[in-house]
Amino acid sequence: MTGFLDNVLGGLALGAVYALVALGFVVIFKASGVLNFAHGSLLLLGGYLVAVLHDDLGFAGALALAVLATAALAGALDRFLLQRGGQDAHAAHVQTIVTIGVDIVLLTDLARRIGGDLLTLGDPWGDAVTELGPVTVADSRLAAIVVSAVVIGGVFALFRFTSWGLSLRAAAEDLEAAALMGVRLGRVRAGAWCLAGALAALAAVFLAAFPAPGLERTTGQIALNAFPAAILGGLASPAGALAGSLIIGLTEALVVGHQSELHVLGEGFGDVAPYAVMLLVLLVRPTGLFGAKGTARV
Amino acid sequence: MNTTHSRPRTRHRTAGTVLAGTLALLLAATGCSSKADGGDDGRTDGGLRTGPGVDAKTIRLGALTDLTGPYATLGKSIVQAQQMWAEETNARGGICDRKIEIVVKDHGYDVQKAVTAYADIAPDVVALPQVIGSPVVAALLDDIERAGMLTFPQAWAASLLGKDAIQVLGTTYDVDMIAAVEFLTRTKGLKKGDTVGHVYFEGDYGANALEGSTWAAKRAGLKVTGLKIKATDTDLSAQVSALRAEGVKAVLISAGPAQTASLVGVAASRGLRVPVVSSAPGFAPQLMKTPAAPALAALLNVVSAAPAVSSDLPGVKRMVASYRKKYPDSPVDSGVLSGYNAAQLMGADLEKACEAGGLTREDVVTAHRSQKNADTGLGTAQDFSDVDRPASVETYVLKPDAEAVGGVVNAEEAHTVPGVEEYLSAR
Repeated sequence: MTGFLDNVLGGLALGAVYALVALGFVVIFKASGVLNFAHGSLLLLGGYLVAVLHDDLGFAGALALAVLATAALAGALDRFLLQRGGQDAHAAHVQTIVTIGVDIVLLTDLARRIGGDLLTLGDPWGDAVTELGPVTVADSRLAAIVVSAVVIGGVFALFRFTSWGLSLRAAAEDLEAAALMGVRLGRVRAGAWCLAGALAALAAVFLAAFPAPGLERTTGQIALNAFPAAILGGLASPAGALAGSLIIGLTEALVVGHQSELHVLGEGFGDVAPYAVMLLVLLVRPTGLFGAKGTARV
Repeated sequence: MNTTHSRPRTRHRTAGTVLAGTLALLLAATGCSSKADGGDDGRTDGGLRTGPGVDAKTIRLGALTDLTGPYATLGKSIVQAQQMWAEETNARGGICDRKIEIVVKDHGYDVQKAVTAYADIAPDVVALPQVIGSPVVAALLDDIERAGMLTFPQAWAASLLGKDAIQVLGTTYDVDMIAAVEFLTRTKGLKKGDTVGHVYFEGDYGANALEGSTWAAKRAGLKVTGLKIKATDTDLSAQVSALRAEGVKAVLISAGPAQTASLVGVAASRGLRVPVVSSAPGFAPQLMKTPAAPALAALLNVVSAAPAVSSDLPGVKRMVASYRKKYPDSPVDSGVLSGYNAAQLMGADLEKACEAGGLTREDVVTAHRSQKNADTGLGTAQDFSDVDRPASVETYVLKPDAEAVGGVVNAEEAHTVPGVEEYLSAR
């Protein structure tokens, strides 16, 4: 039973971090119709900056700078590279391919810098743990849950209560109409990319913190686990991204943690489980849990 | 009408083009092979048979390494150590009155790049004292065997045994894990009926290690629970939960350094304070700078065919001292030791081949297979005469120590554990 609770809490924490990443996917997709394949390397960049800066600036300073820098790079990437391609659905497909190229360039350079090293981020939690009744949980994981909840709440408020959020929702609904109503699509889009970059940098810190040994060149690949989360939630739905992430996080932790009971499914099923869950959900709800039904004119 | 006429003509022209192209290719191919064969093999040079990679002044060796990929740290250590050996050897007058030159190619752990790099250097080198990466070695196996080029892979899976030109140095992963299980039952009080967890990488490395642990556990009356992971899994919290649910009394791990650090750190923080024994590639000195360092120092041991770089062996001390002098900014890790050792063994093979009157690839392999007690003073002696057996079955047990050079010290000197012979003859 303790094992089960451990896994549930671990899964929730993992899900909370995935949510930061998945929300980035969703915000970008909503604003620009682009699936950002460079998200993993943006995440790695954020983590790398914290790793190299924390000695001089302290953890908080390094984190602030890394979040700003990653946000700025993501915004600039959209403004000066992707937006040149235009704003329609066809252009979005091309831009999605461009992000693959950007990912390769960014990842190659970061991998070269990181090499085989294991970088510590100097986070304040170290390897401390807290006992919650029978369950032991790493402080960094509790922090991940709290910080993700606050940040995600903030992002939802941003969508609901600011004019940028309104513009973003309008643009996602109908690009042309939004443009005619005076929404400055370029800025709204770049803003969304900045936000996604900032979230990715934040997620990097929690992905490299204690239960993991530090930041590696492969840390960015973990962002791929947030992909099924974003898709099963409905790619254009922030609430769906949150729900999807928690489901994926829990699935992963429970399947791996109980793999001896589940060995009929074969070894290493934990890697497949998120995708299996995604497929099951999509079979029942083809547009994802919270996805809008596509309206088709007959 | 016109169209029906033009069609066969086009086809005719196409056929002509194809014929011309094929001829050109054939010419090019024969041109290439005449350069590779006629120029090199079966030549004699002052009474010495020579072949590819050897001329009157130099002996060229090749290294297919990873300087930009996941094993970049290891690759750099091995390259620098072997370069140092080449310089030292040349300063003493070289081998067979020839200077040693090592041609280094980086493949970044990409099999495709490695195949290209191999094709690039293969015609000009006599042997390969370094090839990093199990998948790379697997992809090149046939080519290397066909070329008969003595190769020391930096991979230790038992599946690489039994090939005349390929030499796994030291012990294989399965032998290491048999030693690990023996260490646990002898010193950590494991007894019949206890369960041992084994966390392992998918692929040759993990599979071969699991083979060894399963065999040894059965012999000792223990039960093994295997947990397969990938190289990208760096948070092993869920695996630790699974191990705790199984009630394991000890854990074996055959993965990378990041996974070892996570496993031991999480296990300690969750109160699963059981002994952990890792395969040699599962440790790197950098781990002693992570938050998991205290837990590693308390719970971890490493089984290895090579001694710790901090060990008292005079050969190791001398090598470490000159390496630190030559590369003051580089960490001294196990790669330095294994790279230097491989180079020295290769040097001994070349000397022996030279004495026997030839430096062709075939001569080098023959000389290598005649070494029954090759001792470089950097660890245990190795026997290369039986292609089906690991070159050595003696293992050291190491223990992390943040203060020591290379982050580890010897906990137990080299020894052969009971049961290994039985295992090898049963396999």
